[in-house]
Amino acid sequence: MDTLNELLNGFAAAMTWQNLLFAFLGCLLGTIIGVLPGIGPVAGVALLIPLTLNMDATGAIIMLCAIFYGTAYGGTITSVLLNTPGEAASAITTIDGYAMTKIGKAGAALTIAAVGSFVGGTIATLGLVAAAKPLGELGLLVGPPEFFALMVVGISLLVALAGKSMVKAVISGALGLLISMVGIDPVAGAPRFTFGMDRLLDGVSFVAVIVGVFGLSELLSYRKGDQPAAVHAPNLRSLLPTGREWLRSAPAMARGTGIGFGLGLIPGMTGSVSSLLSYGAEKKFSRNRHELGKGAIEGVAGPETANNAHANAALIPLFTLGIPASPTIAVLMGAFLQQGLTPGPTLFTENSEIAWAIIASLFIGNLILLLLNVPLVGLWTSILRVPSSILNALILLFMVIGAYTINFSVFDVFVMIGFGLLGLALRHLDIPLAPMVLTLVLGPLMERSLRESLEISQGDFSIFTSRPISAVLIGLGLLIVFSPLLKLRKPKALNEDPET
Amino acid sequence: MKTRMRLAAALAAASLIGLTGCGANPGATGAAGAAGSDFPKKGKSIDLIVAFGSGGAVDTAARLIQPVLEKELGTNVEVINKPGAGGQIGYTQLTSAKPDGYTIGATGSPSVVVSPLDPSRGAKYTRESFQPLGRQVIDPTVIAVQPDSPYQTLKELLDAAKANPKSMTASTTGLQTGEHFALAQIQEETGSEFAPVHFSEGASQATTAFLGKHVEVLVANVSDVNDLSKQGKARVLGVMSGERAPSLPDVPTFKESGYDMTAGTARGYSAPAGLPDDVAKKLEAAIQKAIEDPAVVKKMQDLGLQTSYLNGADYQAFWAGQEGDFKKVLPLVQKKD
Amino acid sequence: MTTESVATKPPSTVRVAPTVLAGIGAFAAVGTYVLVSSVGLGLWTSLGPGPGLFPFAMGAVLVAMALLWLLQELRNPSETAPGIDRGLVVGVVASLVVLAAVMDLLGFQLSMFAFLLYHLKIRGRRTWVSALIIAVAGSFGAFYAFNYGLNVALPVSALPFLNAIGL
Repeated sequence: MDTLNELLNGFAAAMTWQNLLFAFLGCLLGTIIGVLPGIGPVAGVALLIPLTLNMDATGAIIMLCAIFYGTAYGGTITSVLLNTPGEAASAITTIDGYAMTKIGKAGAALTIAAVGSFVGGTIATLGLVAAAKPLGELGLLVGPPEFFALMVVGISLLVALAGKSMVKAVISGALGLLISMVGIDPVAGAPRFTFGMDRLLDGVSFVAVIVGVFGLSELLSYRKGDQPAAVHAPNLRSLLPTGREWLRSAPAMARGTGIGFGLGLIPGMTGSVSSLLSYGAEKKFSRNRHELGKGAIEGVAGPETANNAHANAALIPLFTLGIPASPTIAVLMGAFLQQGLTPGPTLFTENSEIAWAIIASLFIGNLILLLLNVPLVGLWTSILRVPSSILNALILLFMVIGAYTINFSVFDVFVMIGFGLLGLALRHLDIPLAPMVLTLVLGPLMERSLRESLEISQGDFSIFTSRPISAVLIGLGLLIVFSPLLKLRKPKALNEDPET
Repeated sequence: MKTRMRLAAALAAASLIGLTGCGANPGATGAAGAAGSDFPKKGKSIDLIVAFGSGGAVDTAARLIQPVLEKELGTNVEVINKPGAGGQIGYTQLTSAKPDGYTIGATGSPSVVVSPLDPSRGAKYTRESFQPLGRQVIDPTVIAVQPDSPYQTLKELLDAAKANPKSMTASTTGLQTGEHFALAQIQEETGSEFAPVHFSEGASQATTAFLGKHVEVLVANVSDVNDLSKQGKARVLGVMSGERAPSLPDVPTFKESGYDMTAGTARGYSAPAGLPDDVAKKLEAAIQKAIEDPAVVKKMQDLGLQTSYLNGADYQAFWAGQEGDFKKVLPLVQKKD
Repeated sequence: MTTESVATKPPSTVRVAPTVLAGIGAFAAVGTYVLVSSVGLGLWTSLGPGPGLFPFAMGAVLVAMALLWLLQELRNPSETAPGIDRGLVVGVVASLVVLAAVMDLLGFQLSMFAFLLYHLKIRGRRTWVSALIIAVAGSFGAFYAFNYGLNVALPVSALPFLNAIGL
């Protein structure tokens, strides 16, 4: 009852015309990022953070969340129409989606994908509503040692799952932590690693680092022939699926929601795992499994529902525990922190109005996506016809403006360039970038909780193992890191996932 | 194909205009020459930097005066939390902003007074980097224990902490903040010894940890424990002011319990030094109006706080006096090699 | 898209690739530097855990991981990653550095106009018409949109005669 009231208040706050507009713009920009094959969701969200820095916190976060789940849908469009996934999570949709395009059913595929995304996203958000209160109350149990242990689990999961080499993943994580330490020590106030530069007292700007490492380095690592071929206008005979197609999609959507929601809750899992597993589930359980691969609607409905359920469910650990489940969410968390909001158990006690407004906007945003995407399919594909030289020039323009406006100084532009080169080197050495983003955001929180814990125990490190919750969490972290020794295998799909 | 491109362009333009119209607010550092008699420029918002996390007393007070300030100045005022290092991160940001009036901040002593005094903190500002605009309140320090704690009086608690040094953890809101000073003073005068835990993001973080029973003793200000005490979530044992706090009439002062000590946090608002005179005057007047606004005073009272306004010049003198006082006790809270 | 590309040749021997060795060396060096300087920051003070504690741990991790990686490489060298397009990297990075260096002097509009023109006309080989239109929109247009629309001030020129005419 209480929850319902707060949610309704949240809706009232989210339905001001400014916030509706922010949600709409976020969906629009997110879809564009999803459509463009060059920029992934991580760089895309980071690139747009500077635009929101001067907005009020609610509007800014509403817009960035909308961008985030908008990308999960945008990738579908190119998968279906062009056989090129706009982002990794939609890769599996190409199989049946493009097959449907070839037999003239592209419209039906896109509509089902949009409806599936809406269903998955909305149900996952309902899960967030249900989980918010109880988990928020558990929050008081989470003292500094437990908080530290929670973050250890999140990071070890990502390290264990990312890339091919755990050594390289740990290096990436350590680099992120080191970068986060530049500036005034958050506890004792001593300047660290500032090399005497006053500019660095405030730390290295998070946005400049992310835009450099993810955005610029991506652009720098293009090679000849990477650009997709020119695009032909798709044949959209009808947008409406037949009754039979609706019937066939429903069970696939239900399965997709379950898979996406479950996996979205686990830190370190990315959307592609959900969509792949969902496709696998269709292959096993669907009544029309023999048609999969030849343009079966289940092959679109399942993975696309799973993908969006995952994206929205991944917000649950962020909102309730302050743990980002994936690199994109880590960037989103960075935006929260920049707005002076600390995601986690205290969010609902100290900023409950903003928190509920954001949750309400998730419902609204999912609806906007549904209404926005299908009619505008033509517009999205036309973006792909912009020549890559123009697109790259415009992306560079945006990066420079974005980096400059953080502090109104060219210093951050240089920071961005430097980190672009670092990102290029890391890509070249095959070092995964995801752990770095995560630790970059979590670094200050981790360090603070570590030092507070040690103050509580007066220097005794056993505080992490003598308290039950943190002991279990630390044990879990160790288990994850040493899982290769225990012959626990990570899903193969993760190796191919560029987001990790 | 052409129409599509045109449509895309039109949509992009429309969204930009939309973004514009709904008042994405301007940054703190604006074009040169913005400050002047036309201050504040319409549609250009003023950032109010709070150097502690949201939910603490500093933050609450800033959010209380914000609407009145907006009305007085005729433009948006955004409260921005920049917690960390016991206030130093926010103060650094405040003093390095352009002195054009579009960035002001909440300043609390002793944290703002002390951080430049300790060379090991490497603070980039001094007292001269701030232009005080007005003082709002003095918030006395209190000491509280868990409601199920065996200690009923201040004396019992301090005696126990003397008999078993460092057996109890006590919160502060960061190294060398008011709470840390108060705790150090108590230890110095009574011979008791606690294990301090420094919650460097401020009072909200410290009280959350106390509520979760992660620390045993809460050292905080009257406004932080007002609600907790009423809800029975904390037992306040003593208040470090000359008189009992009106909101906590049953809690004895330290002097009544036999310890002649006072401590507290003084809070006000400042700008980076070097404001043009007319801008400073406008801001000072608006801040006075906001602090003395009857509704704000009433709400401060509900938090347990007596408003005690001082204008910019007097606040500056008060600040300078505090600097002298704290210099003497600084060694108590400095690291020893 | 690019003027010239020189891809790095993957060596066919089973030795550790020089770029990988350089990377390992760099991480080890950074780790060592952090280790040494964090001791100076203070690992533990009379007030509790010091500012150097966490960096010390991270420096140690970095050095240890670099050594582990070296061992892995010696035993089983990794395949070299596909080469990078040096022409592209040099062109983009150099133009960005020049842009950032002159932006405060010439102002956003002129420097961004030249930057865009370079990328569109010289690197991108667009026609003059489209290059000019986009460059004008991205520099002068963006300046006005941000300055007056979003109230975000992009830099104007520090040179008085340019400043006077609104650049």
